[in-house]
Amino acid sequence: MASPNDIKKGVVIRDPQGLWVVVEFQHVNPGKGAAFVRTRIRNLQTGKVLETTFKTSETIDLVSVEYRKMQFLYHDNTGYTFMDQGSYDQVTMSDEEIGDQGKYLRDGMEVNITTYEGRPLAMELPRKMVFKVTEAMDAAAGNTVSGGNLTKEVTVEGGMKVHVPLFIKQGEDIIINTETGEYVERSK
Amino acid sequence: MNPDFIQARSKIVKQIRRFFDDRGYIEMQTPRLVGLPGQEPYLEPLWSEIKEADGTSHRGALITSPEYAMKRLLASGLDKIYDLGPCFRNGEPWDGTHDVEFLMIEWYRKGITIHQLMDETEEMTRSVLSDLPKFRRLTVEQAMKEYAGVELDVLLGDREAMAAVCREHHQTVNEGETWDDLFFKIFLSEVEPKLGEVPTFLWRYPVSMAALAQKDPDDPRFALRVELYVGGLELANGFVELTDPIEQRARFEEEQELRRSLGKEVWPIDERFMEALPNMGQAAGIAFGVDRLVMLVTGAKSIGDIMPIPVGERF
Repeated sequence: MASPNDIKKGVVIRDPQGLWVVVEFQHVNPGKGAAFVRTRIRNLQTGKVLETTFKTSETIDLVSVEYRKMQFLYHDNTGYTFMDQGSYDQVTMSDEEIGDQGKYLRDGMEVNITTYEGRPLAMELPRKMVFKVTEAMDAAAGNTVSGGNLTKEVTVEGGMKVHVPLFIKQGEDIIINTETGEYVERSK
Repeated sequence: MNPDFIQARSKIVKQIRRFFDDRGYIEMQTPRLVGLPGQEPYLEPLWSEIKEADGTSHRGALITSPEYAMKRLLASGLDKIYDLGPCFRNGEPWDGTHDVEFLMIEWYRKGITIHQLMDETEEMTRSVLSDLPKFRRLTVEQAMKEYAGVELDVLLGDREAMAAVCREHHQTVNEGETWDDLFFKIFLSEVEPKLGEVPTFLWRYPVSMAALAQKDPDDPRFALRVELYVGGLELANGFVELTDPIEQRARFEEEQELRRSLGKEVWPIDERFMEALPNMGQAAGIAFGVDRLVMLVTGAKSIGDIMPIPVGERF
C-alpha cells in the first residue's frame, strides 16, 4: 500500500472500479483543513475521467508501472506512435491521451512513456525544448506587457506561438518550458 | 526573485498601509514570538526555546497569525486595528503558493457585520488591483449545490450521510476521517477549482469549520466565516468573532481533542486570551495573504518569484 504523497503524473491507482492513471495532481491545504492531494484520474478500461481528492493520511493501492524511453515516430489518424529503441516495440497513444502536449512532438525525438502490462498510459516530454523562431516581427507591432516585461509574439517551428522578449529575432533558437508553454531563454 | 516583482511588492505593501491609515485604523506591531501560539488542528507553529540571562528557559513559538494578540488589543479598548507582518507555518508544501514565512495583513473592526467585512475586503483589494470584476458572494451551501449538486443542509453533522455522498461522487471514505475531511474531498474536487476568475467570497461555513467565529443567529449550524478566492487562490479568511468565553473554551477543547487524536502535540489554552475575550465587544476581522495578492498583481507563477529570497534559497 502507498500514500497519496507518492502520487505523481502517470502512476496507476487500483480501486474497486478498476485501474486509474493519474493525469493531474496537486497538493492542497485548505484553510482550516487537513492536507489533501487533488487528482484527475482516467480509468484504463472505460476511459472515464474523474476528479477525486485523497487525504494524505489515507492509504491507496498503487500498481507498478514501467517507465520506458521511446522515440516518437509519426502522427496519423490512429494517434501518436512511439518506438522502444532497444526492443523495437511500438505503442500508439490517441490524440485524446496526448492532448495539448502533441504540439511539442517532433519526429525522432525521445520521450518517456509510462506503460502498464505493455499498454502506454502517459507520455512525459523533456521539460525544456529548443525551438527555432520561424517568424518574428520587429519590435513595436505586436508588443504586449506581460508580468511587467515588454514582450512580442513570435511563431516557432511547428506553428506554435509564444511570447518572447523584444530582442529575439527570426532564425534564432529559443528554449520553451513544455509544462507552461512559456519562453525560458535564448538558446546558446 | 524578479526585481520588477519585488518593486511591485514594496508598492503594494505601501498601498495597503495607506488604505487602512486613511480609514482611521491604527497599525499594531504584535509580537511574532509568543508562549502559546494558535492551536488550530492543521496548522503547525515553529517552536523555539527562549533563554533569560540567568539561564531560565521558556518555550516559545513564532505566530501562525496575530489573532490572539489582536483580540486582546480590541479588549483593551481599541476599535480599528491592523497588523501587517510575517507569519510562520511549519509543515506546509513548498509548492509555489506557500512559504514557511509569509506576509499577512490582518485587520479588526468593532461593530461591523460580515457583509461590511466583505465590503471592506473588496475595497482594500481594489485599492491595489483596480481592474477586477465585481466580487461575488456565495454561501458555502449555495456553492456546494451549484457546483457539486450537493444539498449541504441535510448532511450537516451527519458523518454517515456525508460518507454516502462521497461514495456517490467517487471519493474514498476511510475510518477516522471526520465530517470536515469528507466535505473537503468534494469541495476540493468539485467546487474550489470551478470558482473561476470572478473574485468570490465564500461565506457561512458549517460551524465545525470555524473555531473562532460566531454562529449565524439565523441558523446556528453555520458560522459567520468568510473566505476570499481570486484567480483560483485562497486570499483571505475572516470571521465575525466569537466572544462567548464558554463557547470558545468548548471549541478550543474540541480542537485539542482533535490534535490529540491526530497524534499531534497539545499545549494549554491561552488563559490571558480567554480573560480578555468577554471585553472584546462585537467585532469582525480577516487575515489576508499579501504575497498571494502580489502574485496576482504581477502575474508571478510562483511565490518564490515575489519573495526577496525564496524558501528554496534559504534552506
